[in-house]
Amino acid sequence: MTSILADAPAVRRRQLALRLALRELRAGLRGFGVFIACIALGVAAIAGVGSFAQSLVDGLAREGQVILGGDLAFSLIQREATPPELSFLSRQGEVSVAATLRAMARTADGRATLVELKAVDAAYPLYGAVDTDPAAPLGDLLARRGDAYGAIVDPALLARLDLEPGARITIGQASFELRAALVTEPDKLAGGIGFGPRLMVSEEALRATGLLQPGSLVRWHYRLRLPAGAGEDTVKRVTESAAMQLPDAGWDIRTRANATPQIARNVERFTQYLTLVGLTALLVGGVGVANSTRYFLDRKRDVIATMKALGATGTRVFAIYFTQVMLLAAIGVAVGLAVGALAPYAIAAALKTLLPLPLAPSVHPLQLLAALAYGLLTAAAFSLWPLGRVHDVPVSALFRDEIAPQRRFPRLRYAIAALLAALALTVLAVMAAYDRRMAVIFVVAALAVFALLRLVAAGLMAIARRAPRLRSTMWRLAIANIHRPGALTPTVVLSLGLGLALLVTVLEIDANLRREFVQALPERAPSFFFLDIQGADADRFDAFVHAQAPRASLDRVPMLRGRIVAARGVKAADLKPRPDAQWVLHSDRGITFTGDVPQGSRVVEGRWWGRDYNGPPLLSFEKKLAEGLGLKIGDQVTVNVLGRNVTATIANLRTVDWESLGINFVLVFSPGAFAGAPVTDIATVTFPGGGTPAEDAALLKAVGNTFPTVTAVPVRDAIDAVGQIVTNLVLAIRVASSVTLVAAVLVLGGALAAGHRHRVYDAVILKTLGATRRQLITAYVIEYLLLGLATVLFGVAAGSIAAWRVVADIMTLPFAWAGGPAVAASLVALAITLLFGLIGTFAALGRKPAAVLRNL
Amino acid sequence: MNDVSVKPAVAPAIALTRVNLSLGGGAARVHILKDVTLEIARGEAVGLIGPSGSGKSTLLMVMAGLERADSGAVTVAGQDVGRLDEDALARFRGREVGIVFQSFHLIPTMTALENVAVPLELAGASDAFERAARELAAVGLGDRLAHYPAQLSGGEQQRVALARALAPAPAILVADEPTGNLDEATGREIVDLMFARHAERNTTFVLVTHDPNLAARCDRVVRLRSGRVEPAAAPALSGTRR
Repeated sequence: MTSILADAPAVRRRQLALRLALRELRAGLRGFGVFIACIALGVAAIAGVGSFAQSLVDGLAREGQVILGGDLAFSLIQREATPPELSFLSRQGEVSVAATLRAMARTADGRATLVELKAVDAAYPLYGAVDTDPAAPLGDLLARRGDAYGAIVDPALLARLDLEPGARITIGQASFELRAALVTEPDKLAGGIGFGPRLMVSEEALRATGLLQPGSLVRWHYRLRLPAGAGEDTVKRVTESAAMQLPDAGWDIRTRANATPQIARNVERFTQYLTLVGLTALLVGGVGVANSTRYFLDRKRDVIATMKALGATGTRVFAIYFTQVMLLAAIGVAVGLAVGALAPYAIAAALKTLLPLPLAPSVHPLQLLAALAYGLLTAAAFSLWPLGRVHDVPVSALFRDEIAPQRRFPRLRYAIAALLAALALTVLAVMAAYDRRMAVIFVVAALAVFALLRLVAAGLMAIARRAPRLRSTMWRLAIANIHRPGALTPTVVLSLGLGLALLVTVLEIDANLRREFVQALPERAPSFFFLDIQGADADRFDAFVHAQAPRASLDRVPMLRGRIVAARGVKAADLKPRPDAQWVLHSDRGITFTGDVPQGSRVVEGRWWGRDYNGPPLLSFEKKLAEGLGLKIGDQVTVNVLGRNVTATIANLRTVDWESLGINFVLVFSPGAFAGAPVTDIATVTFPGGGTPAEDAALLKAVGNTFPTVTAVPVRDAIDAVGQIVTNLVLAIRVASSVTLVAAVLVLGGALAAGHRHRVYDAVILKTLGATRRQLITAYVIEYLLLGLATVLFGVAAGSIAAWRVVADIMTLPFAWAGGPAVAASLVALAITLLFGLIGTFAALGRKPAAVLRNL
Repeated sequence: MNDVSVKPAVAPAIALTRVNLSLGGGAARVHILKDVTLEIARGEAVGLIGPSGSGKSTLLMVMAGLERADSGAVTVAGQDVGRLDEDALARFRGREVGIVFQSFHLIPTMTALENVAVPLELAGASDAFERAARELAAVGLGDRLAHYPAQLSGGEQQRVALARALAPAPAILVADEPTGNLDEATGREIVDLMFARHAERNTTFVLVTHDPNLAARCDRVVRLRSGRVEPAAAPALSGTRR
């Protein structure tokens, strides 16, 4: 006997736990559908988002040269490169020049539309290829034939102006023949958001348009192809010598490794939001994991007690069941990882034509590893607590029918283990986040919502317990069901509440964004922005607009483009701005100078310089952004405008009413700050109460004919362009959120199914005692409605508050509560609760009492 | 004093001294075992009888180390079980006490062989399956090793349970109404088998039953009433078995 008395070594003990766990799992996965689905869903969401984003980032990096149009790109705004700059560039390798600007394309019959004009030289493109329909050499398509230059055009322009290929249009003072449709533009992504369709012409043609006036808003891109085989060190050397030899060029230098920093940043940021949404799905699923574990262990009570009677210690029993739960979690994780890993391929195949981004679908082990960690940690965090209780399952359960009181709390070690798993999950979520502050807010909010929902459930049960005795048996039964031991209340409130809160958050944000960008354009919003009004034309332009649109108001200010190169004596690259203020430094900004406080602005700190100010350059900064950059009154800021550095002292800070959509600038300088610089004006035309389509069209046509070099940007079009992007983003968020909803519904369904046995028992006993089916259904409907209503109230409240904070604080937009989506979501939630609840109940009602009673 | 034990010559297999046990809490608290003092000699077969609620099963659980006495001393196989913590008690049980339940309590996901092997595996035996197979053969189930409980009759299930209880060669075998869920003929077979194994291995055997005839097959009958051992004369004091 002594041979079996010896303590088995640790390895053998672990093997035994695994062996016994596997033996138990032979019974199949029945009852674990919800468990596995919850884990699989969350892991798939996280792995899918991560893999897709990584494929995108890889694609952007791999296609860096093509997207950028070269190994390096030097961009200048409002001016061409000087001979010394050009000679520097041509010493480094082959140079290709491209210019981009917004312009008006006009048809022979006077219709006009905004186009994103791009002029290229013979060397374009240095990398990649331009595909056209019909296919032909680029030089032929753009060449001058007779009095017209060739142009390649986005098919959208043909549709907009109702033109056929071969038609003619005028831009500025030049005539163009639309020779081919543009199918692929290799360096399109580097251009950013376009407000109009692309029109590609030759550099020579651009010069013929007359649009190149001093101060015109033209971007000049000088792309460089380095000698073959040039490595990253060469790229770095060229960047450094550019900064050293031409320190005042003020150009924006990008390299092939960082071709689209804006897109890369946005992908990263958006990935984080979607990952958090995925994590929410996993957390909601965690409730399902906890429930499934609890039901499973309830079913296994006798087996656990038997094992203990046969000599298994509490720790051993825990090990066996923990192993089982983690094996099941591993199945869920594996399914989730498989789905997540395939996501980039599926999305690439499905959205090949829609997605204007280079996607390099592949399996990303790191992303999958992170999703695996999320999945296993969630399973551990949510199952350890109920699993800890098996340690103390009493063997006496095998001898007595009594319901032994279940320990509410597991032993300390299991509670600590559960907390550690939750902590590890938190640390992982925060460490992996792009914006850690955001991740911490998410974790805190998630914990708060969990705690609140538990409180709501407890409160609901307490109210039900204390409710006065009602005369109606059905009401009494319904209310008793809400608070009896083992009631479904906490699970329903938690899963449905969490899912609904998230849904309402997304819907409210969506509604607010739509209202902001798409639907209700502010009444005071202008109809048009007019760009590139030459100083000499300014007065004539004013008079013309007043004559053409007498009821419209005109606002015109000078505008230049400039980039902040230093602040407080620190180089822009070395400034450490808050995340929400980084964008100010990323590229050039519109700037103006004026003697009066601009419309829509309010000076909140410091003093305005006054109309007659004539001293050294002063600067007025937008307050929030100044704070984000760590700037205060008295600090010096240097901006590079037209290749010249201008340093000004911050004299005051302003708040800006961005929603007015008027001419708003982050940076406003004192008069005379840019004396001598070629300046064009920007103007807005606003019809009181908004212009009619006819008024808009008439003004557009008239200005286009009289001022061919002035570019009109219809605000509606610009808003639509932004709105389209917002719609796509919101769609992605909705898809990700729907995963959370599916998880919530799964958890709810699982919980209600688990309560089914109880329902059958209740129904049979009550039927035996004379209850009719109608009475029983009434009682269940009342119960589910009460539960659903309480949850809906909380979910809508929590979701609305979350949306309000996100819209007001993060998006800095005004928040208006939209009742429609909230009510719709609530009705859906109520319907789901009723449906799931009643599916089980109908089955219960159908049972013949005798058959059930025999088996009780 | 409710002492009806026969003084054994050597240390008893089970010795209970003034054992008290209450269960439940608050108003529902019930004093189940009251000052129970009892000694069972090594190799002795004792039948525990008494009406429902008299505390038979609870007394059995105290002897098997499944329930802790509130007061008094419990020594089983030379071990003061009151001094053992939960885990030590579990290991002690696995080693020294075999238990047969009224409802068999086989693990439904395991075959007969695996069910019998479990206590051996838990104790770390390297030859668990060989020994389990021998035990099953000994109860006449040598051809049923790969069957799951659901594929076995009630009698067969109880045989598996008996094989499982005896597999680790425990010093003490306790059975809680082992025939309660079986028909008369099958019950008799099981009882015969249990007494046969008890005789072969000289295992101390404690049998809880409602059936006076079954109890009468034991060396001694201990009668419980309202948690106390009745001082009535035992039907078989001489130690004749069967």
